[in-house]
Amino acid sequence: MKHSFLLALLVASLAAAAALPAAAHHSFAAFDITSQKTVSGTVRQVDWTNPHIWLWIDVPNDKGGSDTYGFEGMSPNFLARRGWSRTTLKTGDKITVSYRPMKDGSNGGMFMTGQMTNGKVLSMMGGNDAPER
Amino acid sequence: MKNAKKFRFEIVASVVIAATFAVTVPAQQNMSKAPTPADWAALAKLADFNGVWERAGVGGGGNPAFGTAPAAPRGNQPPAGNRGAAPQRGARAEGGAGAAAGGRGGAPSFTPQYEALRADAARAPQPEDNSTANCLPPGMPGIMTQPYPMEFLMTPGKVTIIIEAYTQVRHIYTDGRALPQDPDPKFFGTSIGRWEGNTLVAETVGFNDHVQLARGVPHSDKMKIVERFKLTDADTMSIETTITDPGVLAAPYTTTGTLRRHRDWTISEYICEENNRNYVDQTGKAGINLTVPGTPKKD
Repeated sequence: MKHSFLLALLVASLAAAAALPAAAHHSFAAFDITSQKTVSGTVRQVDWTNPHIWLWIDVPNDKGGSDTYGFEGMSPNFLARRGWSRTTLKTGDKITVSYRPMKDGSNGGMFMTGQMTNGKVLSMMGGNDAPER
Repeated sequence: MKNAKKFRFEIVASVVIAATFAVTVPAQQNMSKAPTPADWAALAKLADFNGVWERAGVGGGGNPAFGTAPAAPRGNQPPAGNRGAAPQRGARAEGGAGAAAGGRGGAPSFTPQYEALRADAARAPQPEDNSTANCLPPGMPGIMTQPYPMEFLMTPGKVTIIIEAYTQVRHIYTDGRALPQDPDPKFFGTSIGRWEGNTLVAETVGFNDHVQLARGVPHSDKMKIVERFKLTDADTMSIETTITDPGVLAAPYTTTGTLRRHRDWTISEYICEENNRNYVDQTGKAGINLTVPGTPKKD
């Protein structure tokens, strides 16, 4: 029972590794893809650039200031075919980002989903107009 | 008199130079002939591969690494399933055969000598990434299975494949020329093609060392790739890719992949160096540059 679960997990992770679109460009060595974190902040800058978009989010810290987090997304080419545009996220937007954190603990990681204050959920796999939930 | 002598010398010199060039510069066998109206018309009788294609199963659908799938699939999104690339050993090798879309799955089987190399490499510490992180493209056949579209162009005597990923291009000459005897090694080799009915059969030789059959397994200069492209319905193309390398592969290694045509897509710019924050060093250590834009670089 336990073994079949582990086998299923192994198969699933192999399949995931093979199917990861971003694997075209680089590995996920820098990210801890077994964990997920969430931060809320304000969009500082959007780099709508190849080979990956980068979202820079200012996140309030406990010293009364803010830290800038960097989140890597898919390529603009990939995202533009799946409902995103370069103005989907704009400087000043409030967002809560779920991400795979950097293994080294740096501020940032791989963007998974973003929750906007109007309820809109942004996903790297498309569907930026997914219904509120 | 003196002038005549000089003139004669110039003639001799010209002949010598011409003869030298005739020896060192082989006849241009690869000259493309000017297409005639009939050549253009003949294209219409071939299977129409023109247009923008993407590997079936790219994106969309719940990908565990990216979290929950969106509620509804977006337009233009190919149906889920048939994700292509089989989880083979060597799948992250640079342009390795393991990166080929694998309908049949499985890994290439090597002759004992090369199987030993593969096993050694598999036991050795694994590099965290390969040179694609530094923006070098994968070689063949991996470049054909990227999660980005490719545009096929059919012109007289040639099929051109414009590959969005890394902004690359393949040239498949269908004008009857022969494969080169001693090709320069390249990422994508040198390709010729012929039509067998509605199937384009492309043969490619001459691969550089970025092309690996599995991680740590080099190929020989006998390595050859045969691709069979054919339409299976109006907007679906199958590609059967067979790699042979006598002495290295114990048997021909065949994979199949599926492309879907997207009539409403165009090829986008993909300049990998534009903002590449990923890197891998000589030791195989991968990393990410998280320097916030507009701030001094951290030590």
